[in-house]
Amino acid sequence: MSENLKLQPIQNWLKKNNWFFYDHQLETLNQSINGHDILLIAPTGGGKTLAGFLPSLHDLINDKFPDNKLHTLYISPLKALTIDVHRNLTNPIEDQKLDIRVETRTGDTSNYKKTRQKEVPPHMLMTTPESLALLLADTQAKEYFKFLRYLIIDEIHSLVNSKRGDLLSLNLSRLNNISPNCKRIGLSATIKNKKSTLNFLSQKKNSKIINIREKSSPKIEILETENRVPWSGHMAGYAITDIYKKIKLSSMTILFVNTRAQAELVFNKLWQENENNLKIAIHHGSLQKEIRRKVENLMSLGKLDCVVATSSLDLGIDWGKVDLVVQIGSPKGIARFLQRIGRSNHRFDEPSKALLVPSNRFEYLECISTIASIKANLLDEVKDKEGSLDVLAQHILGVACSNPFQIDDFFLEIKKAWPFRNLKKQTFLDVLEFVRNGGYSLKHYEQYAKIGINKNNFYAIKNKNIRNRYRLNVGTIVESYMLKVKLGNRTLGQVEEWFIEGLNEGDTFLFSGRVLEYQSITNNNIIVRSTNSAHPKIPSYAGGRLPLTSELSFQVRKLISKKEYWKHFPNQISDWLKLQNKFSGLPSVEGLLVETFPRHIKNKKRYFLICYTFEGRNANQTLGFLISKKMQRMGYKPISFVATDYALAIWSMIEVEDINVILNEDIMLDDLYEWLEETPLLKKNFRDAAIISGLIERTIPGRKKTGKQVMFSSDLIFNVLKKHEPNHILLQVARNDSYRGLIDLDRLGDFLKRIKNNIIHKRLDRISPLAVPLVLEINRQTIDKSEVDEYFLEELENEILTEVGLN
Amino acid sequence: MKTLNFCNHGLQICKEGVLFWLEKEIAIVSDLHLEKGSSYASSGQYIPPYDSEETLLKLLDILNNYRVKKVILLGDTFHDKDAFLRMTSKVRFLFEDFTKKYEVIFILGNHENKIKIEDIKFHQEYIVDDIHFLHEAIQKNINQISGHFHPVASIKVSSKKITSKCLIHSNNHIILPSFGEFTGGLNINDPVLKPFISEDYNIYFLTKKSIYKFSNKEIESQY
Repeated sequence: MSENLKLQPIQNWLKKNNWFFYDHQLETLNQSINGHDILLIAPTGGGKTLAGFLPSLHDLINDKFPDNKLHTLYISPLKALTIDVHRNLTNPIEDQKLDIRVETRTGDTSNYKKTRQKEVPPHMLMTTPESLALLLADTQAKEYFKFLRYLIIDEIHSLVNSKRGDLLSLNLSRLNNISPNCKRIGLSATIKNKKSTLNFLSQKKNSKIINIREKSSPKIEILETENRVPWSGHMAGYAITDIYKKIKLSSMTILFVNTRAQAELVFNKLWQENENNLKIAIHHGSLQKEIRRKVENLMSLGKLDCVVATSSLDLGIDWGKVDLVVQIGSPKGIARFLQRIGRSNHRFDEPSKALLVPSNRFEYLECISTIASIKANLLDEVKDKEGSLDVLAQHILGVACSNPFQIDDFFLEIKKAWPFRNLKKQTFLDVLEFVRNGGYSLKHYEQYAKIGINKNNFYAIKNKNIRNRYRLNVGTIVESYMLKVKLGNRTLGQVEEWFIEGLNEGDTFLFSGRVLEYQSITNNNIIVRSTNSAHPKIPSYAGGRLPLTSELSFQVRKLISKKEYWKHFPNQISDWLKLQNKFSGLPSVEGLLVETFPRHIKNKKRYFLICYTFEGRNANQTLGFLISKKMQRMGYKPISFVATDYALAIWSMIEVEDINVILNEDIMLDDLYEWLEETPLLKKNFRDAAIISGLIERTIPGRKKTGKQVMFSSDLIFNVLKKHEPNHILLQVARNDSYRGLIDLDRLGDFLKRIKNNIIHKRLDRISPLAVPLVLEINRQTIDKSEVDEYFLEELENEILTEVGLN
Repeated sequence: MKTLNFCNHGLQICKEGVLFWLEKEIAIVSDLHLEKGSSYASSGQYIPPYDSEETLLKLLDILNNYRVKKVILLGDTFHDKDAFLRMTSKVRFLFEDFTKKYEVIFILGNHENKIKIEDIKFHQEYIVDDIHFLHEAIQKNINQISGHFHPVASIKVSSKKITSKCLIHSNNHIILPSFGEFTGGLNINDPVLKPFISEDYNIYFLTKKSIYKFSNKEIESQY
């Protein structure tokens, strides 16, 4: 270490633990001392967090800083991470008796503590983007952040290009005005778009990227098994015994799954297998906070053998002794998987070890592709996104809550937030009007405006009440309305309202690792009791599974189309493909395989149409909407479809005859706009935008609307706005978000061109091997709901009439 | 349109939720909740102000197709006591058009407490022959048509739930769905509706395209 760096206490502490500084930690320190803002890109476990804090620690140890002022602000996307980092940082500080106060502040922090933190700020505060927004909306914000010297943003890659990132970025720009000399350090996992992440962090000319490469590539295997890999499903039940054996051989295992339902099921199965009484715990986002914290604590103490976890454990939490990472189901993305395996052997000079467990046959192919992509050093591409206007609306109100502003200065500040660099003045003014009075063309609500304009052209909120309401609505994550699950007096956690709607009294489901029987809903609590039932109804409260990135989709397509690859597959996989080849045909590289066959659902004959596009779930979903629209117009009465990463399955009441008409290029022209305007996705995005922008409130003091009520009224608002103000800001936001959420439509266009005159149509009398997984998918998309409802009602009415002999 | 026999009178319901007694040239409609949108503005929630216009245009449009002289509004015509004052001139114009064209009977709803509008008289109850028109159903053995509850029903078909507004017909009770553009709904299974629904009842389930009649047995057998 060079002479001019004085870090004796930290060095002493490291020495005590037999640790040493990594080069990149010292480089980060040096560059920061020289005045650079730094984006540090390093694999997990590279001592990234310490690197981020070194400059700040160095400054606090060596330089005079007023007591009771905020010195360092640390922002992380996860509450759990703030707690973890707090713990890791407190160790050396306490051990070396340094006079540095470190505290966390999140939505979970008590009001008492929050008030105290405002009066007497700690030296270092660890918080989330939402809590930062709230701090900055305080009237004392300028005073509070005036002395800030360091700003650390952890896991910055997970924030850029999202609405949360938009919010953070606007607040970063605000901070820059309050404390212009504050130095920034961004910490990121390995990413493809380094430059735009750096711009997000800092637009100072001398900002720098420090990029640390993984020293050894990870060792990844696919689970070898004697058992049958199922054709469909996401639960990997076949592999539990084999996985259990691996857990026994390791000192600590993290078992990642993609959904909460998977977590519950796998956890349950493991305990059925658990003859050695291993300590196996579960961790997912629906569980009560206390339960999660307890598991996290036991993990860091090394007191567990295995934790079954969802992405609630995804981000850089440092778990000492994990030596095996198991991924059940395809990780669906290369970067995401690398992040997860970074968990094992948390020393980045040793290779990480991981075991992939595909839960069905398509996933087997995906897992092979994932390994190939990692070997070839391919990374997923993330598209840059413009700042969202609903987030801007929220921010404008936040700033108005903090202090009066003038339009021109404020607009300049906003433009300095990277996602909003292209924002037009007129758009800004429109959003401002929207926040002030709803922005309707006739200015109906000017008399009730939230933000008033004073004589000197300063904008300020009209009363304190507006600030209080803003505080309740801050944030960009719109969650489904959650109900508490109560077992006696204990709260086990929360599930979405719609999950419970599908349950009847006496139904059993898995939650928090138990089999529970649903009894009733009382005061927004779900009352359950424990049961010994061995066959719980599988919970479908899983919510969105992670989408497959296009890079991986492409790899799978290559794999399946070339028979010479198949010899590397286990027999059951290659047999499956051979069977498909014999029974129907194989998807070709250039053309498109389409299958049609009849099938009974609940005693009713339905006609299935399957397109093996291998274009990824988003493209398939769009295609599904477009095709079903066309089928509707042609009178085939489509009911529902499933879009997976590999294929699209649509079923209808009437059989489709000419496939070429359905898959014609013109579906892009005819129906795209019309479809987008009607899609449930647009309505959902509108609802989110309405909540984020503050048009609809999340909560009203003293009274909580149920999620359903909000949903209902946002649909009504959507319909009325479409008619009367078709260019309203929120409709713009919803449309943009929908386009973005879908795909590049170009890709779909190219696809349709490519397959023109190149469609192989197999008319089958029953389902094909390749189609089985699709038909068994649960994650269905409803086509234009009202239309389908009518079909069903007609059918039901006819049945009733037949029953009473009137038909 | 579907016809229902109510205490030996033939009434007709259209899919938008207006009930007709054509023999008497009467139309009955409930819970318009005019100016519900603008009622949130004073608390800083700027819900679009176009609901009254939509509601009135829709109503005028439907009434135009039938021989109707009298319109009975079963209460909560206005979302709150100041609703009338908040109307834009365009909505005022539509409203006046409506009250000039028809003899409009206003029943007083719970949202209209202390409401005062020039030239408008609010009735607690209105009677035609043996039928009582009320805002909220009462536990009394009289033939009554009321609104207030905004009933909706959920029908399970092919393992999915379809929810929509409905009219409830139970013996000598009819409860009309809400008509207003921005009105929500209360499920027919809600306990507060129990006192007014006998063991046998029918619902008229209203969708965008049609009306479906279900008996309570048909609905219950689904669960």
